[in-house]
Amino acid sequence: MSRFMRRISRAATMAVAVLAVSSVSIHGQSLFNAAGLGTTVEALDGRARALGSMGIGLNGRSMMPSDPGALARLGISTGVMVASPSWVDYSAAGDRSGTVQGNRFPLMGIGYPILGGMASIQIGSFLDQTYEVTRVGETDLGDGPVRTSDAFDQDGAVSTVTLGFARTLGERFSAGLSIGRYAGSLDRTLERTYGEEGEAGNVDTYVEAGVWSWTGWSLSAGGSAELDGLRVAASVQVPTQLSGTASEDTRGSDRTFALPVHLRVGATANVGPSILVHGSAVLADWSSAQDQLNGGFAGSGSGFGLGVELSRARLFGRDAPLRFGFRRVGLPFAFEDESVTERTFSGGFGLTLNETAGVVLAALDLSIERGQRNSSNLSEQFWRATLSLLTSGF
Amino acid sequence: MRVNSASFRWKSGSLSVLVAHRKGPAAAALGFAIMFGVGCQEQTPVALNDDALPGAPITVTVEIPWSAFASNLEVFGGYGSAEDIGQGVLAEDFAGTLDARTLLRIGSYPRVATVQDTTGASRPDSTLTILGGRFVAFFDTIESTNSGAVTLALGAITEEWDQTTASWDFAVDTINDERPWSEAGGGVVLPVAQTVWDPLVGDTAVFVLDSAEVAAWADTTDLSAGARIEILDSGERLSLSKAVVRLDARPSSNPDTIIELTAVTRGSTFIYSPFPQPPPDGVRIGGAPSWRTILDVNIPEILDNLPDFCAVVRCPHELSPGEISYAALVLTSRATEAAFQPTDSIRLDVRPVLNRAAMPKSPLGVSLIVSPFGRSVAPEAFGSEPGLEIEIPFTGYARDRLRGTDASGNPTPETLALLSVIEPFSITFASFDGPQSAAEPFLRLVLTIGPPVELP
Repeated sequence: MSRFMRRISRAATMAVAVLAVSSVSIHGQSLFNAAGLGTTVEALDGRARALGSMGIGLNGRSMMPSDPGALARLGISTGVMVASPSWVDYSAAGDRSGTVQGNRFPLMGIGYPILGGMASIQIGSFLDQTYEVTRVGETDLGDGPVRTSDAFDQDGAVSTVTLGFARTLGERFSAGLSIGRYAGSLDRTLERTYGEEGEAGNVDTYVEAGVWSWTGWSLSAGGSAELDGLRVAASVQVPTQLSGTASEDTRGSDRTFALPVHLRVGATANVGPSILVHGSAVLADWSSAQDQLNGGFAGSGSGFGLGVELSRARLFGRDAPLRFGFRRVGLPFAFEDESVTERTFSGGFGLTLNETAGVVLAALDLSIERGQRNSSNLSEQFWRATLSLLTSGF
Repeated sequence: MRVNSASFRWKSGSLSVLVAHRKGPAAAALGFAIMFGVGCQEQTPVALNDDALPGAPITVTVEIPWSAFASNLEVFGGYGSAEDIGQGVLAEDFAGTLDARTLLRIGSYPRVATVQDTTGASRPDSTLTILGGRFVAFFDTIESTNSGAVTLALGAITEEWDQTTASWDFAVDTINDERPWSEAGGGVVLPVAQTVWDPLVGDTAVFVLDSAEVAAWADTTDLSAGARIEILDSGERLSLSKAVVRLDARPSSNPDTIIELTAVTRGSTFIYSPFPQPPPDGVRIGGAPSWRTILDVNIPEILDNLPDFCAVVRCPHELSPGEISYAALVLTSRATEAAFQPTDSIRLDVRPVLNRAAMPKSPLGVSLIVSPFGRSVAPEAFGSEPGLEIEIPFTGYARDRLRGTDASGNPTPETLALLSVIEPFSITFASFDGPQSAAEPFLRLVLTIGPPVELP
């Protein structure tokens, strides 16, 4: 077997492993999941989170679907895997409060050099839709009132599988193109039970359920430029409509939802011997989906982020750049006709685990965010950690 | 910052680079393990209010008349034998009609007993001299109708009889062998003894036997051997739980001592007259041999012309299996013929008939009632307090019947059998009003009807 074939084989093995891990379900981390199509879950790594980035224009090696042009700068085969648990405290009108926590895996991907450029496959999160709610009532079955409990459970998410290719154009420029496929499913189940909780009665539970599979496409193009001490990047993501196709035994109907074009720009400037400043923004107007929603309100998903990296820091004798950031981004869906934003302050660091011949073969990036999401009737305060592992040279 | 991939290719050709520096990946793996650990407890967000729920279903109770869901009601008898019950019945002109006697076969007598000899040592003694004994009958004081003393008579059967097929008129009633008693009701018997049983004193009646009478039942190969016990006082019905023969014997090893041995019965049955005729217009369940009632069930696919239902649901409504939250056949009890009125609870069962054309011999499916003890009904419902509505739930069957197949994809039988959980269980049986009567059976449905769940 030739060396090339062995590499292909290893890459395929890695891809299978990544796909296998990605089958882990994504659980909800916000009560805003119950609004519209859910909450967006950006496919960002630990470094982007720590710098408050929208996932574009970062210096160094980066592999995120939001920055197709950055793929070209990977240079060698690279894999990335991100885990992100969060802990949410919420308070709502009526003195209702509580906590929610969960873990998710917003990004997994590999890139491999081919045809003078870099090809990649990435699996990223997009919309988180899981929530549940229960309504208690009463009905008369002929022998007096009987307690009813309507438990509704929605379980699902929209993810993206992205195939990309990027290459450098001269010493300073790079460009990339990617095709994304929306995937995932949504399982909505309503169960009405009769009688007091925990009592098994004669009247069976009524179940009305539907399962929809999500499909759609997106095309992304992006480019970046390396100027003296400055890196700038921009990308545009043009989606088709998001289609929800009902399974054969689902009584509910097929639906389609308009998705917004995402415009992203970002830049990182070297403002000192070891100080990098990063800024990025995203424009995404979800309001075109409003007409297709049965409930909830669609708004703007636009936002911006700013961050700074102190790149000379070291930990355990290894490079460990410190990062701080702030970001503010709109939630695309809300319960009321209002603008709801997520604001976070973040901090984190990177840690080079293995560096050979000046090339980082393994690195960790960790970020901790403290943020809040506020609407007129719901407020969430959360901690979110993001840990990503970047490996190269397989 | 740009990495020259060509210059690096020689290093990345093998994972040995990573293997040589295992600390990095190990630390990364540890980091991920920590992340998984701290975030592994998943909690699903709970929406704030009902707005996040899809359309609410409504619940409606519907009563479907007999003609709209059932047909072809038929009563079959003859399931099992009185012998299967293992108990006896005694009656004399009970409720002005019923006569019943119990026939028993006595088991073999003990031939060996361990006794103390004259030296005080215990040893087996096979040379026993039977001096006489007692026939002891145990009665069920709850099922028996008498509250005062009654006179009982014990006789020795003189004709060959078959305990499985014996009836009031026939001693043997098998295929190609039908032999009537010389005298209806167990033939001519040799009177053995009479006694009085008073339930206030105890639950046993004792007949004293002499050695000749005891010896007459000693031959277990004699097909005519057996005891017949009857009640002489009219107007009562007794339930005999069991009977034994207590033998007084003298062991050869210690002739001065009388020991008591016990011989149990090895079979019993009861015969009675008159045998009830199938009801022309009702439902009958139970008895010995048992009665079953079968009916064809057809859950309506379209609901219409039901005022209460159509007031809340747009009619006509096409019923789907998932909308049936509860389904039950509702029967109205009526008084059973006095001679066969239950004195204890009747336990009803409902099972699918797998091949109606093969009735009365069609096999039955598994019970549709969740409880292994069936649907219990108090005896008063068939005597002093008739007109009680008895629901026999079969929700799962109703869904399958509407769907046409069960969960395994097999066709759902169209016919149901109403029967006793244990067949036969008692000479008594349950009676219900039949079709075309004022209290005809009907189908009670609790329906939950909701809009389809749609995308947000």
